[in-house]
Amino acid sequence: MVAQGFKGRWVELMVLALSVFLVFCLIFESFIELPSIVGWMGRWHPLILHFPIVLLVIIVFLGFTGREIPKLLFQIAVITVLLTAISGFFLGKSTGEKGALLLWHQWLGASLALVAVLLYRFRAELQKSLILRKVCMGLILLLVGFTGHYGGMITHGEDFLALPGADGPRELPEDPQVYSDLVVPILEDKCMSCHNPDKRKGELSVKGFSSLMKGGESGNTVLPGNYEESTLITRLHLPLEDEEHMPPEGKSQLEVEEITILERWIALGASDTLQLSLLAPSEPLAGIIKKMMGAASSSDWSRLPMVADETIDQLSNDYLTITRMAGGSNALGIDAFPPPEYDSKPIQDLEAVAANIVELDLSGLPIGDNEMNMVEKCANLEWLELDRTPVTDQDFQKITGLKQLRLLKIYGTKISDRSISVIQGLENLKRLYIWSTEVSNEALEQLARQRPDIVIEKGIDDKIQNFLEAKDTVPNLEKKE
Amino acid sequence: MEEKDNKKENPLKVNRRHFFSQLSVGIGSLALGSLLIPDLFKNTGGQQASQPLGLPHFAPKAKRVIYLFQAGAPSQLETFDHKPILRKRMGEDLPESVRNGQRLTGMTANQEKFPLMPPAVNFKQYGQSGTWISDYFPHIAKIADDITVVRSMHTEAINHDPAITFFQTGSQISGRPSMGSWLSYGLGSENKNLPSFVVLTSRGKGNSQGLYSKLWSSGFLDSKHQGVLLRSGKDPVLYLNDPDGISRSTKRDLLNEVSELNRLHHVETGDDEIESRIAQYEMAYRMQMSVPDVMDISKEPESVVKLYGEDCQVPGTYAANALQARRLAENGVRFIQLYHQGWDQHGNLPDEMAGQAKDVDQASAALVMDLKQRGMLEDTLVIWGGEFGRSNYCQGKFDPANYGRDHHPRAFSIWMAGGGIKPGLNYGQTDEFGYNVVENPVHINDFHATLMYALGLDHEQLTYKYQGRRFRLTDVAGNVVKDLLA
Repeated sequence: MVAQGFKGRWVELMVLALSVFLVFCLIFESFIELPSIVGWMGRWHPLILHFPIVLLVIIVFLGFTGREIPKLLFQIAVITVLLTAISGFFLGKSTGEKGALLLWHQWLGASLALVAVLLYRFRAELQKSLILRKVCMGLILLLVGFTGHYGGMITHGEDFLALPGADGPRELPEDPQVYSDLVVPILEDKCMSCHNPDKRKGELSVKGFSSLMKGGESGNTVLPGNYEESTLITRLHLPLEDEEHMPPEGKSQLEVEEITILERWIALGASDTLQLSLLAPSEPLAGIIKKMMGAASSSDWSRLPMVADETIDQLSNDYLTITRMAGGSNALGIDAFPPPEYDSKPIQDLEAVAANIVELDLSGLPIGDNEMNMVEKCANLEWLELDRTPVTDQDFQKITGLKQLRLLKIYGTKISDRSISVIQGLENLKRLYIWSTEVSNEALEQLARQRPDIVIEKGIDDKIQNFLEAKDTVPNLEKKE
Repeated sequence: MEEKDNKKENPLKVNRRHFFSQLSVGIGSLALGSLLIPDLFKNTGGQQASQPLGLPHFAPKAKRVIYLFQAGAPSQLETFDHKPILRKRMGEDLPESVRNGQRLTGMTANQEKFPLMPPAVNFKQYGQSGTWISDYFPHIAKIADDITVVRSMHTEAINHDPAITFFQTGSQISGRPSMGSWLSYGLGSENKNLPSFVVLTSRGKGNSQGLYSKLWSSGFLDSKHQGVLLRSGKDPVLYLNDPDGISRSTKRDLLNEVSELNRLHHVETGDDEIESRIAQYEMAYRMQMSVPDVMDISKEPESVVKLYGEDCQVPGTYAANALQARRLAENGVRFIQLYHQGWDQHGNLPDEMAGQAKDVDQASAALVMDLKQRGMLEDTLVIWGGEFGRSNYCQGKFDPANYGRDHHPRAFSIWMAGGGIKPGLNYGQTDEFGYNVVENPVHINDFHATLMYALGLDHEQLTYKYQGRRFRLTDVAGNVVKDLLA
């Protein structure tokens, strides 16, 4: 009897001590600096958290079905839930800045632990009232569920449970329509849940061009050319607390870029036929669309074959640097520098990752056939620097198939007019750096006429060069009296 | 006696028992740790890897930076911020409502009056962008459409040292890593034969303030990220050349032996700085080959020399450094920091300004044009500017032909070109007196955040843990100025 009484007290004391410790941790969180061993203890959190979940669910089951909850089960459940909460606190502490998810998880988890402790303490009362018991059990179940869900989002990512196919940026067509490819998706995403032909809040439906232009109650939803007074826009800019603000508080709001798209579309006349090719290059909308298209094309990198870090290390050397274009990306950028004794092998070896290379800088290297054979295989190449190399017209033919190429540097080489047809065929080429070559001015002018989409850099213009070469460059100061 | 000391120095011998007593616990916890965290033993420190894990955070627009730092703080009112009212109200006292309690330096705090002083030269608008540029800078005027002028920079510091330290390290108090070191830490090296952070200095005839190596220090980051100052003249790096009679192969053997000894020492002490030291010996060995080659401008054609101005053949001038900067950028140096001293015009501003402008105007413009024709403006970010602005009122005796301006933190102008920055933009506005920012303010933290963004780095994520907390270049502030990004 005595032993049992002592044992019983011992458990009670332990529960009390752990609860006090947990509350202490939570209150004085910002003053606590943990030793690394404690951070290590936090790493047990993912392991032990499974015990209280199972034990509490059993307790809930027993509670709901009106059976007696064994004391030992309750004790183990309460102690493990406290240990889980404390270890979770340690783990959270060692991750540095806490995001919203982690904060939710922390406070839900802590309240779960403390609710469990209270229920354990007042378990006798719990047995008396059926309703109270059911409410408490429901509360525990809810807390277990939400804590677990937030924890899961922290480890597996917020969209772990999202339905397949819901994510990923949409691909824009070659020459996107501003209304149907940009404006409509925003309206569908952010407005149409209330403003559709069935609900018609404020007598407005944004489904279909004509009903959008017809507008709602106030009638001035879209005033073509005047976005500043179009209510579609003004409502977006009202403070979030304002009754009139759209979308209403709590609904997902528009991104700054989305607002800009709507504004520019209205400013440009709110037409349903406007498309990218009709926009002036200085138009901000053109920039946004190109950026969106660029984002879509860079996501093509996700389809590139996998490259291991070991492969990259193996192919690199002191004069050949291989970098991933972004952390974790399989798109590679290569920079080669002239070594004291040049050898073409390291560049030929790049053939192993040819499909992954999107940027290649061979400028200033004494390259020839061998290297160009490798370049020929880089089908995904977007950026190629061959300036100041001994490439010939014949070598240059090898880049004919590089259809993704958008930037090419070929200045300071021996290529001639014979290579111009290769450049003409590079349909994605946007920038060309071509000067001090054998290419004639006429050929370049012809290229410029046929491919107005390529920005051709022909070196510093003579007028500027003369200005710079002027002997007296002392600023001509017009001093005021 | 000697033997005893040796034992003391060798931690393995002294700590044998200690080591074995820890071993059992150690192995157990390591095994457990590796079960729980599969990546625990992966190399994430970036010690060997050329590219730290997961960086850059996103595909960058700019791969490198050339920072043309105008040390001493050039006046915004004589460069890019055109304020005609100063001429109209010349000599009138600066209204208190404009100054609004701004603390002043000891140099003008006791002045009885703060008479408004117009610039000694005219401003004109250039390019399609209509950028206002003063007559001091006829060459930069030619690149008006390639640059973006930010006229709404502001800082907190009012004296040179804290201000320049703030610009370089994100803190007014020295000790933090320099911008270039952060980028080297975040992006790694592009060319293993050259340091990723290089510093070049030059000095004009104007009133100068000191430059200290702390400005390019790596602070608490690994010392391999420290800026390397390249001197002008025959020996860009002191003691880099082998002494007479030492061949390169002898040197190689020597280095191999030294590295072996260092590695042994590293096994004993576990000090990571030893690894850095080994890496630096190797870097120096490779620099023996690479640096003379990069620094040798004799192979540059005549047209290039004329582009940068004849001065570029005189080692140690700003023009020579600007040309050098392009060569270093071509060779994959991540961060090339130029400092040109002499912009501290407390007096004699009109003459000194003309001299300083002559030093930097053509070479700065030439650098941008040269980078542009080589397609390097696509991925190289050029920045031109000082550490703060200058007052719109006169310091000292009021004389429109020979005046001075005191320090001014609340508004100043810089320009940027290339590397993911929108060209031909005029960003931000100051009030009509050029004293306070009234539109689109850009704080130094914002500037750092934007710079890092262009380089593919999230300024909130690039951190380094030191003394119990995580540090960032932007500390706890900074917003990316998206309007500036192309």
